Amino acid sequence: MPTTRGGIAAILLACLAVGGAAPALAQSDDPLGVGRKMLAEDNPGELWIERGKTLFYQKRGPKNASLEQCDFGMGPGKLEGAAARLPRYFPDTDKVQDLETRLLTCMVQQQGFDRADIVKRAISPGGSSGSDVEALALYITSRSNGMKVNVSLSHQKEYDTYKAGEYLFFRRSGQTDFGCVQCHGEANKRIRLQDLVHMTDKKGAQEVASTWPAYRGAHFVVRTMQWRLTDCFWQMRLPDMSYGSDMSIALTLYLNYQGNGAVIQVPGFKR
Amino acid sequence: MRIAGLRWVVVGVPALIAAGCATFPDEATTRQNAEKMVSEGFSTSPVFAKRLVQDRSQQICSKIAGAPLTQQEAAEVVKLARASFQYPASGKLVGDWKIGDRLAHDGAGDRILRGKLEKRKENGGLCQNCHALAPGEINVGNVGPALTGYGLQRGNSEAIAKLTYERIYNAWAYSPCSNMPRVGATRHLTPEQITHMVAYLLDPASPINKK
Repeated sequence: MPTTRGGIAAILLACLAVGGAAPALAQSDDPLGVGRKMLAEDNPGELWIERGKTLFYQKRGPKNASLEQCDFGMGPGKLEGAAARLPRYFPDTDKVQDLETRLLTCMVQQQGFDRADIVKRAISPGGSSGSDVEALALYITSRSNGMKVNVSLSHQKEYDTYKAGEYLFFRRSGQTDFGCVQCHGEANKRIRLQDLVHMTDKKGAQEVASTWPAYRGAHFVVRTMQWRLTDCFWQMRLPDMSYGSDMSIALTLYLNYQGNGAVIQVPGFKR
Repeated sequence: MRIAGLRWVVVGVPALIAAGCATFPDEATTRQNAEKMVSEGFSTSPVFAKRLVQDRSQQICSKIAGAPLTQQEAAEVVKLARASFQYPASGKLVGDWKIGDRLAHDGAGDRILRGKLEKRKENGGLCQNCHALAPGEINVGNVGPALTGYGLQRGNSEAIAKLTYERIYNAWAYSPCSNMPRVGATRHLTPEQITHMVAYLLDPASPINKK
């Protein structure tokens, strides 16, 4: 009997740990909601914001420059609300870019860092102190906290990228025959005990668009949207996703556009 | 009236683009753009890159936003699925439920991380990820239907064993384009592994058929 009780306690703890929905979605009739809320209120990811801020204003790299001249779409150095409108088209690169690829552009062009070197470190090992890109992405997104996701389509490349993202969301391949929609197309679904976000629903897409970067409890680090996509492809048995690939930007644009109107609150908290 | 409207689309849309009015691309352009993104979107060796290429059934089953299959498409998927069936060399479709139990709870195998293939003696069956299994099991998914009591409801006749084997081997023979991976046809599992899972589902002694 004590074993059973211990087992149940362990399961409950495991449930709390795998919950991982945003606190705003915690329902009073959801027994796991209380635990999620407690975890989210004490989000260790907050620590990364300060670090990202320091990195942003510090003179760094071969060119000994800060990122203050980086234009995330609202003008050089203007961060308020910038992340809320990403991905978007940038005339200087003639590309649709998400937050992380835009950041890469600036770190390479303005600070003189080596692109391949940043990419190699962008996604940090679990349990590490995290990468510069993760901290910077969180800091920049946090400057849109409390603001609504507001992705718009106006340039032809934005329309093209959006449609490609939609196509990719439904594209099935590999030995599991998975596209995104196989796991994220219905409400209240789980892989084992892990909740799956219902992304073809407005609310689910809004959760995606407003909670990354997020602190990932199981990894003890802040994770970004690029990481989220990479990890999905790994689980789908597809090859390694290239960091910052056009494919990743298309999926992010598609999802964020569906998530328009969500109030950004980062860092999110994931299991 | 309808023709006039169509004429406006044919003449009008390119005119709007020419005038700088951006708009959604057509289906063929989107497919071309997106497929290019897929071919450039992964850093990988040619061996793994094969996984990105869709077969005919996957192409049919990638309808955007749940658009329904046409009758011909559904029939083609079923036909391809039926043609994919391969049975174990022994001819025995019901294996060892204990091995099946282990496989059903194994979600690993064949994942690629930093260019390296996840090395395992065999791939897991992935069942637990999506299906409720034995009664009282909590750590199970719900993307697919519950399999609890599968054999109790159906018995374990030869016909049921064959149907069960084929549904695992290639579910699209019976439910074209369902979410269920074609684990036999895609070679994620071997025919022998599938016979163990059939036993796990059908054997009266299997935990899945306990009350």
